[in-house]
Amino acid sequence: MFRFASRFFRQRSLVEEAAQEVFLKAFTELGKFEGRGSMEGWLTRITTNTCLNLLRSSKRRPELTVSDLTEEQSTWVENKLADTAMEHHQSSERSLAAADLAGRVLETLAPEDQLVLTMMDGDDASVKDVVEMTGWSESKVKVKAHRARRRMRRAVEKLLARGTKGNSKSLETSRN
Amino acid sequence: MSDKHIISLIEQTPPASLSESDLIAIQAHVADCADCRRGYEAAQIAVLLMKERAAEAFAPSPFFHTRVLAILRERQAANESWAWSRMWRAGGALASSMVATVAALVVLTFVVPGTQSTAVPGDVTSTLNAYSAEEVILNQSELPEEQTSDGQILKTLYGAEEDAVK
Repeated sequence: MFRFASRFFRQRSLVEEAAQEVFLKAFTELGKFEGRGSMEGWLTRITTNTCLNLLRSSKRRPELTVSDLTEEQSTWVENKLADTAMEHHQSSERSLAAADLAGRVLETLAPEDQLVLTMMDGDDASVKDVVEMTGWSESKVKVKAHRARRRMRRAVEKLLARGTKGNSKSLETSRN
Repeated sequence: MSDKHIISLIEQTPPASLSESDLIAIQAHVADCADCRRGYEAAQIAVLLMKERAAEAFAPSPFFHTRVLAILRERQAANESWAWSRMWRAGGALASSMVATVAALVVLTFVVPGTQSTAVPGDVTSTLNAYSAEEVILNQSELPEEQTSDGQILKTLYGAEEDAVK
C-alpha cells in the first residue's frame, strides 16, 4: 500500500496521508467487503481511489521548466542529452534525482494521466489490471494511457529542448 | 514502415510491450526523421523516469501505526458521542410529546367539564327534574300520597281475582 501510494506523491507526508486514509477507509468499510474478490484487490482499489482523490485535490503545477530543476536533476537531463539515456548502472543519488524529476514532470499532468502512466509505464500493469484497480472501462484506460503518454513525452521533449538551449548558451558564454 | 511516423505507435503501446519488428521499424524510421527521433528519445526518457520512480523504496515512519490507531479511536469516539447526542435528542422529542399528551388529557379531564357546568346553568335544573333516574331511585320511599304504589296496583288487580275464586 505504501509502495503504491508513494508512486503518486513526492512528499513523504502526502504518501503517509494517503496510506492513513486508506487504512481508515478499509477499517470502517470492512463490513462492506463481500469476499467476492481478493482482499488485496479490494485494498488496491481503495488505495487507487484515495490517491486519485488526493491528486485531484492537490494543486497542479502549470509547467515544469529547466530553471525549476535541482542541480542533480539538471545533471541527469544533461547526461541523457549526452546520449547516456540507456545507461542502467546509475548511482543511487542519480536514481533519486530521476525519481524526483519524474514526480515533478508528473505533477504537470492531470491526476488521471498520472495514475495511468504510473501504473502502466512505471509498474508495467496491463490494461486489464488498470481496469480492475480503477473500475474504468477498457477503452477509457486505453484512451487515457495514449493521451497521458503523449503529454508526458511532450513535457520531457520541452524539458530536453530547453535544456539543449540552456546548454548551448552556457557553452557559448564559457567560450566567450 | 520507415516512411510512416512512429509517434502514434510509441504512444499507443508501452515501450516494454513493443514487439521486435516494431522496434526495428522504429529504429529504421528515427534514423531519417528528426521529429520522430526527438519524440522517441523523449518517450524513452519518460519511461526511464517512470521506472526510476517505481523503483524508489518507501518505508513508513515508525510512528505511523500509532498515529493511525489514534485517529481511528478519535473518529470512533466522535461517532459514539454523535450517536449519544442523536439518541438524546430523539429521547427529548419523545418525552416532550408524552408531556404534551398528558397535559392535554389533564385539561380535558378537569378543566373542560367544569367549564360546561358553569356555562349552562339551566342543565342543572333539568337533571333535577322528577323523572330523572337519580330522582326515582333516591326518592323511591318518598312517594306522594296520591300516587299508588306497585303493591297496591298488584293487590287491586290480583286481589279481585282471588276474591272471585274464593
